[in-house]
Amino acid sequence: MNMHAQPQRTPAETALIDAFGERLSLLPGDGAVMLKRDDAIEAIKHGLPTRRVESWHYTDLRRLLTSVPDFDPAAATKAIAPVIEGSAVLPLLDGVSTPKLPEIEGVTVQRLSEKLTDGSVAPGLDPYGADDAIGALNTAFVADGYFVDIADGAELDKALELQNLQSAGQTHVRLLTRVGDGAKATIVERQTGEGAALVSSVTQLVLGEGAEVTWLIVQEQPDTATHLAQFKAHLGKNSRLTLFVMNAGGKLVRQEIVVRTTGEGADFKLRGINLLAGDTHTDVTMVLDHTVPHTTSTEVIRNVVTGKARGVFQGRINVHQYAQKTNAKMACNTLLLSDDGEFSTKPELEIFADDVVCGHGATVTEIDHDHLFYLMARGIDEKSARGLLVKAFVAEVIEELDDEAIVDALEARLDAWFVAHG
Amino acid sequence: MPAVQDTIDRVRKIDVDQYKYGFQTEIAMDKAPKGLSEDIIRFISAKKDEPSWMLEWRLEAYRRWLTLDEPTWARVHYPKIDFQDIYYYAAPKSTPGPTSLSDVDPELLKVYEKLGIPLREQEILAGVQKTDVSEFEEASDNVYKSGRVAVDAVFDSVSVVTTFKKELAQAGVIFCSISEAIREHPELVKKYLGSVVPTTDNYYATLNSAVFTDGSFVFVPKGVRCPMELSTYFRMNEKNTGQFERTLIIAEEGAYVSYLEGCTAPQRDENQLHAAVVELVALDDAEIKYSTVQNWYPGDAEGKGGIYNFVTKRGDCRGHRSKISWTQVETGSAITWKYPSCILRGDDSSGEFYSIAVSNGYQQVDSGTKMIHLGKNTSSRIISKGIAAGFSQNTYRGQVSAHRKATNARNFTNCDSLLIGDQCGAHTVPYMEAKNSTAQFEHEATTSKISEDQKFYVMQRGIPEEEAIALIVNGFVKDVIQQLPMEFAVEAQKLIGISLEGSVG
Repeated sequence: MNMHAQPQRTPAETALIDAFGERLSLLPGDGAVMLKRDDAIEAIKHGLPTRRVESWHYTDLRRLLTSVPDFDPAAATKAIAPVIEGSAVLPLLDGVSTPKLPEIEGVTVQRLSEKLTDGSVAPGLDPYGADDAIGALNTAFVADGYFVDIADGAELDKALELQNLQSAGQTHVRLLTRVGDGAKATIVERQTGEGAALVSSVTQLVLGEGAEVTWLIVQEQPDTATHLAQFKAHLGKNSRLTLFVMNAGGKLVRQEIVVRTTGEGADFKLRGINLLAGDTHTDVTMVLDHTVPHTTSTEVIRNVVTGKARGVFQGRINVHQYAQKTNAKMACNTLLLSDDGEFSTKPELEIFADDVVCGHGATVTEIDHDHLFYLMARGIDEKSARGLLVKAFVAEVIEELDDEAIVDALEARLDAWFVAHG
Repeated sequence: MPAVQDTIDRVRKIDVDQYKYGFQTEIAMDKAPKGLSEDIIRFISAKKDEPSWMLEWRLEAYRRWLTLDEPTWARVHYPKIDFQDIYYYAAPKSTPGPTSLSDVDPELLKVYEKLGIPLREQEILAGVQKTDVSEFEEASDNVYKSGRVAVDAVFDSVSVVTTFKKELAQAGVIFCSISEAIREHPELVKKYLGSVVPTTDNYYATLNSAVFTDGSFVFVPKGVRCPMELSTYFRMNEKNTGQFERTLIIAEEGAYVSYLEGCTAPQRDENQLHAAVVELVALDDAEIKYSTVQNWYPGDAEGKGGIYNFVTKRGDCRGHRSKISWTQVETGSAITWKYPSCILRGDDSSGEFYSIAVSNGYQQVDSGTKMIHLGKNTSSRIISKGIAAGFSQNTYRGQVSAHRKATNARNFTNCDSLLIGDQCGAHTVPYMEAKNSTAQFEHEATTSKISEDQKFYVMQRGIPEEEAIALIVNGFVKDVIQQLPMEFAVEAQKLIGISLEGSVG
């Protein structure tokens, strides 16, 4: 235990606290929002989490966050082509939403800066726990984002892409989405940019009764950026959420996924691929709460580690006492391709109900030599054979998505990564 | 679901007061004053007639302990322990180191007889049956009398007797209490004590280093296969005492030893602290098999009383091709905090951990293992079976790590939990850390209740429900039971039955 009550602040902590002082007058919000911001910065003043905080065990943010860039008013970036062709795009350029909101039938879009100013989003700004550093950081600084409301029964015929792009400095955005009863939608959350930026992004999603959503997070930050993201969802009765997360970039990345089933019959699917290269650190942490009876979930995470990359997957499934008949399965498979790479995983089960079927599996291994031999015996050179096997290992997760347009789009991203790092 | 309701009803009626070792014995005791201070440590050290280096070692640990905070990361909840409200030394008065059984207080011998622990080696050697079987019926089915097992009996703070010493000495094996080892074999103790669990290791291990009062010492020299099973039987008897024992087992090159540990305590309303340290050292080609049947008093049906069991157990596979195997059956204690671990330092070394943790009533178990792969081609295997019933919380917490140079590290982990009743919890917290690309780690965990299909299958063959459940539970833990020495396996199976009585039948 630390003997010192108040350890000295790191340069990053100091920079964040100073930045808050400077930015305060520019941040939108009514009294309630500003109070939440004050509470949040207080939490940061107590220090960023270290490995002693269990949920940050493998990502010592205090040590890893070595510097924080200043806000850069000159930053200017442009919207890019969407992942899925023909999607409606909602861009957030250097943390600022567009005033020209697209007209989509059944969808109401509002700029979050307005909702902060009128205080209507204040109740949702609380961090979800004392160890929620990303929530606190975002609440303190969030200036913009979108509020997307999909009407009851609306079935979107084209995908919606939320683009969070930045060229420098810091951006702190929040994406709030409500999907009405029986509505259907495919939403892409694109996280990319250029330069050594610090990004915090919090997504909150609420699914109404019988809603069906496929949500894709495509994170391709440059290997100089720090990306701290959170995805929180509440799943209503008989709703279905398929969350696909692809991490293929960033210097320091933490993607938190916090999901709660709040209605019976809800189903959650998480499919993730983490492609790690260079001298980077990527952490995917999931907390899944089954709070009501008869809900199901499956999670499959595939990781490829090359170079000096360090990867982390923490997944905790909590089955509450009342949540009988829960069926939850989780798997995390990792291919370690380099001697300097590292992968740590902590799949947890916390179970308070007895009539459940829960399981998890985790493996860490290198490429199977028999598989390699099989391909090479057929005249394929080693490099190509390895490439084929690695691609097959991760593509399996993508192919499960069952929508040709999405599968093609994601495989294209996958290929782009292999070209750059293969 | 009537069947589920039925199970719940039965769980409600749970009665954990089936602890058959709950009696206490009036024996004149020699005690140190309550509380902990440097003076108490000096007192313990003087009582044990220890050399000055040992006292220094203890004091250093104590000073270190004062700077530490109690760990809070485990999933166990209990009121704060008042370390000044405990007797750190309590010994039966008549034992200034008995030389033969006839010197031992007959009351004490009775305790062990009642527990079924054979200290009368002559009878065992001759295969003579006890004549007073009726009086100690409970003991009559005990497994110990069947085989030849050398026993070190530890009563509160001291070792009262060790059997078969002579025969073991002929084979070159040293088996004695640790106090005796400190006096008689200081060079060995100095070399190995604290080399696996250093005094700075953790809160409870540091406390133990400062105040440990007794425990067992085993040294198996080069090339010797220990001719019999060794065993230590721990008994906590005195009120308000803590038991702090220290066990050190060394297997030299090519040696083999199998060691069993058992423990019980009287039924009391207050909680008692047990903080032990076990260190194992296996040199080249050596093998140590360590089995525990832990049956400390678990507290009553309301969760009152019971032992707080905070134990640090660690084995060091120091030599190439060495092997350490931990097998544990945990049925007792109000709180169990225990992670028998293996440091796989030598190339081609292997570690194993087999565990059954049964919790009922208000018991809290947080147990598991650590497999630390350092050498090349090391392998480890973890099989953990947790069974939670009543209002208990049962957690598996384990770590498997492969360090940068641990090429071809291999691990297989399987932890399964069975829930009986909806007021209990089962948790799995595994940590996997791979820093070498040739590592191959596999982990799987499941949690479920006894499936209706399984139960139906057994019952339709005419087996009543209670027996059917017992059969399924036994099948569930079979992988681990098989790892126990035969004599222990029988006892363990019975213990599991007793622990779950009232919840499954």
